[in-house]
Amino acid sequence: MITQEENRSNLRDTKPYVVVKNLVTQFFTSKGIVKALDKVSFEIYPGEIYGLVGESGCGKSVTSTSIMDLIPDPPGRIISGEIYIDSFNILSDLKSLARINIKSETDVRIKRNKRANKRHNEIMSRIRGDKISMIFQEPFLALNPTMRIGEQIMESILLHNILSISEGIIRRNNISQVDLDKFIKNLNGEKDTLKRKKIINNFVSEYGIPEFEESISSLIENSTDDSYIKTEIINMIQENKKDIDLKFINEVKEYYTLQDQLFSLTLQEIQAERTGETALMNQKREEVKALRKYILNKFFILRMKLRFAEKHYMTPFRKEARRRAIELLSLVNIAGPEIVVDSYPHELSGGMQQRAMIAMALASNPKMLIADEPTTALDVTTQAQILEIIKDLNQLIGMGVLFITHDLAVIAEMCDRVGVMYAGNLVEETTTTEIFNDPKHPYTVGLMNSVPRADKKREREIKLDTIPGTVPNLITPPSGCRFHPRCKFAMDICSLKKPKLVEISPQHKVACFLYSDESEVD
Amino acid sequence: MELRYYIIRRLLILIPTLFGLILLTFILLRAVPTPDLISSFISQKATPKEKAIETAQAISFLGLNQPLPVQFFYYLNDIIHGNLGVMYTSFYTGPVMGGIERFLPYTLELSIATVILSIIIAIPLGTYIGARPNSPSDAIGRIFSLGIYAMPVFWLALLSQIIFGHDIGIFGSYGLPISGEGYPTTTKVPWIVNNVSEPTHMLLVDALLHGNLAIAYSAFIHMILPVGVLTLSILAGLLRFIRAGMVDTANQEFIKTARAKGVPEKLVLRKHVRKNALLPSVTVIGLLMAGLLGGVVVIEDVFDLRGMGRLTLATITGLNIQFYGVAGTVLFFGIILMLTNLIVDVVYAFLDPRIRY
Amino acid sequence: MQSTISIFKRSGVQKKRRPKVDDFVSTMRLVLKNKVSLTGLIITSVYFILALMDYVYPQYLGAGPGIVTSLTRFNGGYLGQGFPVGPTLNKGWWFYLGTTYANIPLFPAILSALYIDLGYSLLIVLSGAIIGIFIGTISAYYGGFWDELMMRITDIFYSIPFLIMAIAFTTILAYSLAKAHAPINGFSLIALALIIIWWPTYARLTRSITLSIKSSRFIEAAVASGSSKMRNVITHIIPNVLSPVFVQISLDLGSIVLIFATVEYLGLGNVIRVTQYTPELGELISVGQTYLPVGIWWPVFIPGLFLLIFTVGVNILGDGLRDVLDPKMRR
Repeated sequence: MITQEENRSNLRDTKPYVVVKNLVTQFFTSKGIVKALDKVSFEIYPGEIYGLVGESGCGKSVTSTSIMDLIPDPPGRIISGEIYIDSFNILSDLKSLARINIKSETDVRIKRNKRANKRHNEIMSRIRGDKISMIFQEPFLALNPTMRIGEQIMESILLHNILSISEGIIRRNNISQVDLDKFIKNLNGEKDTLKRKKIINNFVSEYGIPEFEESISSLIENSTDDSYIKTEIINMIQENKKDIDLKFINEVKEYYTLQDQLFSLTLQEIQAERTGETALMNQKREEVKALRKYILNKFFILRMKLRFAEKHYMTPFRKEARRRAIELLSLVNIAGPEIVVDSYPHELSGGMQQRAMIAMALASNPKMLIADEPTTALDVTTQAQILEIIKDLNQLIGMGVLFITHDLAVIAEMCDRVGVMYAGNLVEETTTTEIFNDPKHPYTVGLMNSVPRADKKREREIKLDTIPGTVPNLITPPSGCRFHPRCKFAMDICSLKKPKLVEISPQHKVACFLYSDESEVD
Repeated sequence: MELRYYIIRRLLILIPTLFGLILLTFILLRAVPTPDLISSFISQKATPKEKAIETAQAISFLGLNQPLPVQFFYYLNDIIHGNLGVMYTSFYTGPVMGGIERFLPYTLELSIATVILSIIIAIPLGTYIGARPNSPSDAIGRIFSLGIYAMPVFWLALLSQIIFGHDIGIFGSYGLPISGEGYPTTTKVPWIVNNVSEPTHMLLVDALLHGNLAIAYSAFIHMILPVGVLTLSILAGLLRFIRAGMVDTANQEFIKTARAKGVPEKLVLRKHVRKNALLPSVTVIGLLMAGLLGGVVVIEDVFDLRGMGRLTLATITGLNIQFYGVAGTVLFFGIILMLTNLIVDVVYAFLDPRIRY
Repeated sequence: MQSTISIFKRSGVQKKRRPKVDDFVSTMRLVLKNKVSLTGLIITSVYFILALMDYVYPQYLGAGPGIVTSLTRFNGGYLGQGFPVGPTLNKGWWFYLGTTYANIPLFPAILSALYIDLGYSLLIVLSGAIIGIFIGTISAYYGGFWDELMMRITDIFYSIPFLIMAIAFTTILAYSLAKAHAPINGFSLIALALIIIWWPTYARLTRSITLSIKSSRFIEAAVASGSSKMRNVITHIIPNVLSPVFVQISLDLGSIVLIFATVEYLGLGNVIRVTQYTPELGELISVGQTYLPVGIWWPVFIPGLFLLIFTVGVNILGDGLRDVLDPKMRR
């Protein structure tokens, strides 16, 4: 097992998966503009667990919701900034989405551009759940109460994986003698039972016939006649083939391939739009239009079938998706996934619901999971299990996690790196070990001291510190450093200028004038 | 199935309410002074002596000389046997139960048509508006709902006559019929005259079943205005409810989950918001039915139609008030409403997986 | 409100809650800020002012309170027979809206009808609310048998269509009160019947609010500090119940006016009052309806329009009040 330190130094060489740059998110309420996020910047590398910590109302959840671009509008909006997910800036068309006219704090007029918003939503719906997934604080509220668990997971699978599923079905149905020969040869060359088992396993999963795994292995054990085995396997698949209309599968595959093309064209259009190449942009726009029209015309009947009788026509896909849903449920340690897949959310316990949520989030193997206080609403024993699942997934499939919590103990247990937020600012960012051993920002110091720690000596003699005051009202946030009214070390400059997040030692960034004179320029 | 036990339990809960309803009608009847209660049984031209005899006969016939609890027992017994008393009016004379049997089909026809039409209109319209809160279409919908809600039904009916009415409306002689005039009466409908099968007792449905298009057309055009007005009168409430449901559901956490999964906006509305928003709307139908049954009385009066509403009004508008008729119709409407609510609850329990029965 | 706080601060006295005055002022301020609810308030006020004016100055406006015994005042020997005259501007203000049956000018007739409609509706809603609050609070607070009984009774009331119940109660009341020799006119009779069937709404509303307050902390604290049950009801629950009930009243006022007019339109007022002509909006429409077949529409249209505008006004005022007072409450 790699230690945290090593892990981190490895990460440094790779490209960050999520980059948040100068993110500003505001809420326009009748009482004034809530400046919920004020130029937040951080990066998350693939495979690391990044923790965001802070008091409630400091903007942790707003940050995560902004990354998913799920800020409820109205009242909220992302005002400016860049969010790169897998090197793609999801806010590249931010300017064209809406024109915001701020007449006064309480009178803000927002004019939304319908077309741009539609395009933006289309792009986002391909990124969400595919490249990045999210789980929420209260699983009971976050699951659709009138849909079966399996149905909800299948929805997610079918949204993003239809191409791979159709390929699987086609491959299975076109299984050739050559493939079978190769399989038998491999098998005969291997004597170790465990390895033989693995070969069979690989074979069935490659051809999407896991339901035959047992019968194939028993067949192989009971017979030595290769040609007999081959014909038997072909018979099995033939049996399964009967109710599959390959023409339809191919049509679906073609349809979704074209949809993917359309998507990449749209991205090119946005790229051109941003760089200001008008001619290219217009050309791409025309291409998008033409392709869209082509798809609409060519697949009219297919679209009608999917619109009105999806459940009937998509049966082969749904079978496959259901199998994967059950797999995912067992991956998150749910006992009896075949039963759970057909239950409604209210029939499960809180812990089970959160596991189902995680399974749903994993549906298309995203590289990144945002966990927004996933254990706050659960009881302590369940909490530990959920945390373990997330940690396991992180180590098993290298999934990055943005972990949001107010619980420092959870941070200590889970995270590789930690960002500390205060009143819409990221005030400190460093490794987990360093944040506990050497916190720099006065707010972080206060936060650490307000937690009882077993390793501190003379604990009974030291009174727990609390940070005086409360989180400020973000409609009229304090000038300069937003923490200065509560800070023991406040200087004159603190109320005048806003400190910049500066790297004061390797992997340790702090935004405080105690450590650096640099301030942010407006 | 578990659902069966749920239905049985709901039926058991119904019993005290039903008993209370019967008690209420009994109290209403006995609150009337005896001479008034029996006035219909006494001929006007009789001499005082004859009157005294008739009074005594009526009192003993109706059991009014018994102690109150015994009277209630008799009353309960009568109701269980479907005997709601008799009524003497120019509109209808005979047993109250017979009147209900005779005039109910028409009212049912109106009510069913109204419920179907209003659901057909309200679901698409309500979900459309509810998906776009605070948009211009929402504003129009809200003004429309408020306007209709604020109109007295009888005035709306008269207004529709002023606009669409036959001869008196803007369309002149091409307008729609505003009264029962020309409505195929019992003497003109072949299957009633010949006493052949009359499966539903609803003229429009029966005519269609018998394939008699002329009568079906006549029945249909007589229904347009009343059904249209009734639909409008309940549409406002239905629209409001569906809209509120859509807006509430759209703000739920699981909608955020659906978006986080990458479900496209259109599908979010179709698959996640709409179903969850429409489910509770089933319960409103019970409420609407109450308004509808009240509205039917007014509509039948304005359009001069022969249904339960007219029967109800006939009990109080004649020379002698028909108290048994009043009590009978109250009881009947109450039972209809109770059954509607029972059906609504059962359907809701069947549709919503969260309800444990 | 701002100033009171600053005074307290300056004098160093701890800020004391003055809920009633402050709440009322801030509520009204919020209601007035919203253009729609302001419109509602204006419409409602104008109607009530017109109705009161008619009561105070019957010689200038309308026919005076209650029952008009003489129709000649409006006829003025003008026509007396024939068809009603259409709206006209050159025969004096009381002909602005035309005339109706027996050539009674509509304008003054409507003004005096407003007095009846608004007055009785207000009476019905307020009485219903008072009875409902009383019964609902008591039953929720004491619970047990009385609560169950109240719920069952309201169940029965809810299980009968409103209009049918109104018809039945008015008729039966007319006869049983006649036996008791109670002096009562047709309107009061209908009002009484409507009060009897209207209170369950308020009882249910009050009950549910009381139940939620009862389980809340401050009542628990009050009980723990030894105050009596009755005292709790009066000091804690009633004030909390008032604002939702107030919203409900303003919303119900519109419905009740409509029901009152409908009942009159159906001729229920005539169950005991036979000949006297009384201007009431529903009845005005019913009278004007006679002329519909010959294409005379204003005797029907105009009184209904007055009803419509009032109901719209009261409803948007009620919606505005609800948004301000109780954003969570939805019917």
